[in-house]
Amino acid sequence: MKTLNRTRARGPVVMIIVMGFLAISMLHLLLTIMTSQSVYELSDLKREKRELDTTSQIIAEEVASLSSQQNLLNTAAKLGMVANSNPVFLKLEDQSVLGKPKPALGTASQSLNLVANSAMIDTKPAKQQAAPASQAQPQPLPQVASVSAIPASPTR
Amino acid sequence: MNHAGPVSARRLRLLVTLSVILVFVFLIRLIDFQIVRAESINAESYEKRAVARTVPAVRGDILDANGNILATTVYRYDINAAPAIVRPVERKIDGIDQVVSVESVAAELARILEIDVAELLPKLIGTSHYVNLKKRVDAETHRQIVELEIPWIFADPHHDRLYPNGAVAGNLTGFVGTDGVALAGIERQFNACLAGVDGKETFEKGVDGIKIPSSTVVLQEAKPGRNVILTIDADLQYQAQQVLASEVRRLNADWATAVVIEVETGRIVLAAEAPSVDPNDPGKSPEAERGARVFQFAFEPGSTMKAITAATAIDTGYGTVNTRVRAPDSMRVFDHVINDSYSHPPTNWTMTGVLRFSSNVGTIKFAEKIPAKTRYEYMEAFGFGKPTAVAFEGETRGVLNHHSEWDGVTNYTTMFGQALSVSPVQMASAYQTLANEGVRLNPILVAGCQDADGNLTAVPKSDPTQVVSPSTANDVMYMMEKIVEQGGIGQATAVAGYRSAGKTGTAEIKEGSGYGQYYAASFYGMAPVDNPKYAMGVMIYKPKKVWTNSMAAAAGYQKILSQVLLANRVPPSTGTSPDLPTDWK
Repeated sequence: MKTLNRTRARGPVVMIIVMGFLAISMLHLLLTIMTSQSVYELSDLKREKRELDTTSQIIAEEVASLSSQQNLLNTAAKLGMVANSNPVFLKLEDQSVLGKPKPALGTASQSLNLVANSAMIDTKPAKQQAAPASQAQPQPLPQVASVSAIPASPTR
Repeated sequence: MNHAGPVSARRLRLLVTLSVILVFVFLIRLIDFQIVRAESINAESYEKRAVARTVPAVRGDILDANGNILATTVYRYDINAAPAIVRPVERKIDGIDQVVSVESVAAELARILEIDVAELLPKLIGTSHYVNLKKRVDAETHRQIVELEIPWIFADPHHDRLYPNGAVAGNLTGFVGTDGVALAGIERQFNACLAGVDGKETFEKGVDGIKIPSSTVVLQEAKPGRNVILTIDADLQYQAQQVLASEVRRLNADWATAVVIEVETGRIVLAAEAPSVDPNDPGKSPEAERGARVFQFAFEPGSTMKAITAATAIDTGYGTVNTRVRAPDSMRVFDHVINDSYSHPPTNWTMTGVLRFSSNVGTIKFAEKIPAKTRYEYMEAFGFGKPTAVAFEGETRGVLNHHSEWDGVTNYTTMFGQALSVSPVQMASAYQTLANEGVRLNPILVAGCQDADGNLTAVPKSDPTQVVSPSTANDVMYMMEKIVEQGGIGQATAVAGYRSAGKTGTAEIKEGSGYGQYYAASFYGMAPVDNPKYAMGVMIYKPKKVWTNSMAAAAGYQKILSQVLLANRVPPSTGTSPDLPTDWK
């Protein structure tokens, strides 16, 4: 009877221990899942950042190309603008004219860009290409692919 | 029943004992693995799966005085394939799973990479895990490749240098090699500022060599490089290069240079040349065009040196703007005959007239009494015979032999710029001295090195030097103003609305032991005379299509000067030039 009583008395304790183990296991599992989820989220965000960095670089290069002096001159020439090295000033004090107004002597050939720039981008195709890229879903960057599939690549 | 009890209990005890022993053995082994040898096992395991790599630091930018980017760092990608796993690609097209053949995929790749498909296809055959298809494609091309979702195509990113304005200031920025090593110009000279500190990281890979996600451990963060800030104005630099390129073409010259220095600060506003290297593709330029002739090339200056001789004469009391000379068009000096560049009867000129008509004989007449030592010391003080404080890599010091080495003829020819040589920037700096009331400021090309927070570590400035008195400097400038007002060539350099001064130079070019048939034509000056802001010079090397050599530099000088004055909103001049007679009776 004593043994039976002791067994009965241990029942709730064992139950509590088992429940405790189960609870801790569940919590551990939950935390593991959440951590894993966060790791994937982090990985996605890193991937997205790389994608945005790439987009940023593409746009920055296009802007740099468009704002290069060579492109500005070509654009100005297309609009018929030529440089005039004979400035004329109006003096407000006595309303006199400094300099002799002369038409700009620039000709079509003089308005051509003569300073090389192999970094200039053909902007039209770039825009056409950029459009679908911007609409596309974020893709894993080759930086990831290269690391994951060709072991030699990352250390090259 | 009673008999079976003890047997069962014994068996149970035996089982328990064996289990305890087994557990104990495992426990011992566990302790051995987990505690005693844990560190070495972990290390061995990590060594097998960990890959260390260097994370290259991003190189700093080179900027002009207005913050325009002249050089920056971008990503480029090497596109590679793994032939061992090349196979048709599965794609979902219009919602239907389809298989695209290797040939079709190769055609897509060839179109994007702009290479011949016949050249690409053989590369995709084999057992290798690595073959390069194209090196250093841009981000746009890389993205198009990614969008194809080809599982056997990979890309390795690399830092690459981009010069968005191409050859604009390419002679100054220099360039880096494909391996990222700075090879020339500011890139190399200021490499310590531009280059950052590479970082280190490790990642783990599985038995199949594939990287274990999120296993990257950064051991040392890469520290990006800092920016170099130049003093030049990229827009004016471009305008000057345009003008020079046009003049080189018009005059059928070998090349040309232009330098503009801000008088009050010594800052170099532009240091242009044509042709000039495009640092994006330096291999396209001949080796001679990959440097900066403004700093690295020395030439006999010719008559532009007469302004320095005149300044020396006035400052030492050997002459004034009105010193009278009677100059024939030639004179015998020892066993040599020195000629003026044109025939004229013996003429009564003042020192102003000698400069105005650029007479070699007249220059000798007013300067011959100045001791050679004195003239040498003045030339040194004006900055000749030593590199400028810019210390551009490979900068020439020119040739200024010690006066004790001058023979009788050299003593005279140095008065009008022969038997010595200078760089374009040295001569511009000398004219800056004359425009700045005799105070020489060492030319500055690099303002400083700027970190990411905008803190600028300025390049140390050297002390200004009073070379000649303010009145001497102004006298010489006023004499040179007459050249622009009255001279046939000088007038071609005038910018309406501004008083400007300058001097022509037509120097013979050494070929072997004598002089060749072509010249280095130059014009150096300053503007506006009433409040000098800029000193500048243009030099055209070996023009072959001119009716007079000294005229060659005038048109380019005028165009560049007008752009500089207008772009910097310099107010037009007021007042008139002093009345300085050029001859006497």
